[in-house]
Amino acid sequence: MTGLNTPEAVAELRHELRTPLNLIIGYCEMLLEDAIADDRRTALQQTLTAGRDILERINAAVPSSRGEISDDDFEALRTSLREPHGRIIAATSALLTDCGEIDSEFERDVRRVRSSAERLLTVELSMGRGANHMAITVGHPTFDSGHARVATRPAHILVVDDQEDNRTVLERRLTRQGHTVECVSGGHAALSQLQNGRFDLVLLDVLMPDLDGLAVLERIKANPNTRDIPVIMISALDDVASVVRCIERGAEDHLPKPFDPVILRARIGACLEKKRLRDVELEYLREVGRVIDAATAVEAGTYVGGGLAEVARRGDELGRLARVFDTMADHVRAREMRLKDQVEALRREIAGATLSSRPVSQSEAPSLPTGSLLADRYEIHEEIGSGGMGMVYRALDRELNEQVAIKTLRAEMLREPGLLDRFKSEIRLARHISNKHVVRTHDIGERDGVYYLTMEYVEGITVRSLLDTRGRLAVAPTLAIASQLAQSLVAAHEQGVIHRDIKPQNLLLDANGVLKVMDFGVARLRGVSTGVTEVGQLVGTPQYMAPEQLLGEDFDERVDLFAMGVVLFECLTGRLPFEGTNVMSIIARLMRDEAPSPSSLNPDVSEEVSALVLRLLSKEPTGRPATASDVVRQLSDVS
Amino acid sequence: MPKILLVEDNEMNRDMLSRRLQRKGFEIALAVDGPEGVTMALAGGYDLILMDMSLPEIDGWEATRRVREAEAGTGRHVPIIALTAHAMSGDREKAMAAGCDDYDTKPVELDRLLEKMAALLGPVK
Repeated sequence: MTGLNTPEAVAELRHELRTPLNLIIGYCEMLLEDAIADDRRTALQQTLTAGRDILERINAAVPSSRGEISDDDFEALRTSLREPHGRIIAATSALLTDCGEIDSEFERDVRRVRSSAERLLTVELSMGRGANHMAITVGHPTFDSGHARVATRPAHILVVDDQEDNRTVLERRLTRQGHTVECVSGGHAALSQLQNGRFDLVLLDVLMPDLDGLAVLERIKANPNTRDIPVIMISALDDVASVVRCIERGAEDHLPKPFDPVILRARIGACLEKKRLRDVELEYLREVGRVIDAATAVEAGTYVGGGLAEVARRGDELGRLARVFDTMADHVRAREMRLKDQVEALRREIAGATLSSRPVSQSEAPSLPTGSLLADRYEIHEEIGSGGMGMVYRALDRELNEQVAIKTLRAEMLREPGLLDRFKSEIRLARHISNKHVVRTHDIGERDGVYYLTMEYVEGITVRSLLDTRGRLAVAPTLAIASQLAQSLVAAHEQGVIHRDIKPQNLLLDANGVLKVMDFGVARLRGVSTGVTEVGQLVGTPQYMAPEQLLGEDFDERVDLFAMGVVLFECLTGRLPFEGTNVMSIIARLMRDEAPSPSSLNPDVSEEVSALVLRLLSKEPTGRPATASDVVRQLSDVS
Repeated sequence: MPKILLVEDNEMNRDMLSRRLQRKGFEIALAVDGPEGVTMALAGGYDLILMDMSLPEIDGWEATRRVREAEAGTGRHVPIIALTAHAMSGDREKAMAAGCDDYDTKPVELDRLLEKMAALLGPVK
């Protein structure tokens, strides 16, 4: 369709055209009442006449009874308006040239006549066509209930304008809209007010005598305390360059004077909504920061419970996260306290036992005399133990100037073809385990036919020695051993390393109760990976071996969990779960009998601890906890 | 001195008409939209209301209806003159139906408007 074809649309078009004329004619008539000078009267009369000519042409082209107007008719009307419009522009230009400073009100009124004439020529046919919607861009908007309006929340607004009547009008309008308003008449006063108060928005006049609006705007945006306050510039200067200057200096919006109250309300609403969203976002980020700080504090052990109470009150996902976090932090703190108590109990047990060197036994391993130098690097200080594989020495690594433990390997262990290579690759894997509960393996070397391993040296006592001295341990120190042992297994299993020979002899405790597991990667050399050698002889330590390992079946890391169960059983009860006088009877009992409940042998042991130990001792791997991490979790829930 | 309430959302229209009427000896109070106009009208103290019909939020017809509803049964009746730039056939009847006492068009012809105001205000007190 072209043109307008409803009475409502035509009425709206008439409204758009006649409203500027109301101003042109009204102001001119009023100014004529005051004009004394002839040239001024002449120019005003010319303007008034031109305005009335325009009104006649509009009434002729769009009469009050008309229900439609075509594009051609409208274009013809517009063309016909250009001539009287030109007369208004010429006459008002003469009037403005004539204005002196004392005529500021006269000048303002003439400018209003001129701007009304200019507005007249911007009226488009489409303003009538979109009677209820498009009209919002020019004159008198009509809101319907479906129109999306910004719901403005009450705000505290600073109005800065040197004109008292402007301040009064703005204050009244804004107050009526539910805002609180403070007014100042100059730039310096505005900056001072902003320093002292908390404002949501500033309406800032551009032309002011003491410090103009642009300078005030620059200072507001340069100050970290005020730069986030949105500023709407209000100015009679509405040319593009003026608007650009305001926007470039950080103004959120620009409103030309005289401002339309509806547009003022809409722009203030939009500005405040943007600020509200930004405030919400900043608050959210601040609270995310609090959660991150809390997480850091938990890691550092300095977290105080309830520190996230404020964030936890939020109804959104962040609030939920804070609540969950607080609960978890409480849980972690309780667990840490419990573990601390357990380690302290263990430390007391250790202090009660004699801190001694590990027992030395007869061995065929190559012997290294005290004071000798191995591989031009390791100065042998003393023999500190022996195992199935060879002798253990404390030595000084001259290159790094630190103590190490050196384990020599019996020559016959390396005779099997390919074993040395497999052993080396296992040691390479084990070297990747980095955990404070694992004795670190440094290197494997050979000098003059003697194979040796270098390891971290730990001054301490084995759990074997502790048990030999104390008989059995109380529940708390046993759980301290359990937690630390489980953590070492988590780290090793993550690297794909199965220990295969967890037993009290391999668990070393320092004087502070810190447990370190020795010989990760070493068990393969002993043949304990299968339990039974090719000739059917059992090597290693069968009392701690899982059934599948003893029988030479396929096995996985759950053999370490079974061995852990045996160690814990022994710590709690002072005896092994499956006892026998020889290997075959131990295997027979292991296959036939169920392990007794530790709580039946030691009344101090709780049912839950007992149940956990029995799960670890399940004959079928599937009956045990699936991973070492599961054991860590289950241990955190028992006491 | 008759006291007039001018309900007009266009700032320049308000400025121009209020100044012209003040020059004629009227005391002018201003309301800038329909709700404010209704509130001020009901607060009382005005001898006549000039009501623009194209107002935001609630238009002049609706504002007039609300004033008349509130006045019903109170014995009060403030004269209301509708002003509109639409100036279409039927607007006058529509304004009278809403409860206006008279109707005038924009551009305002001041003498004509003053005559209508005088007719409704009666002899100057």
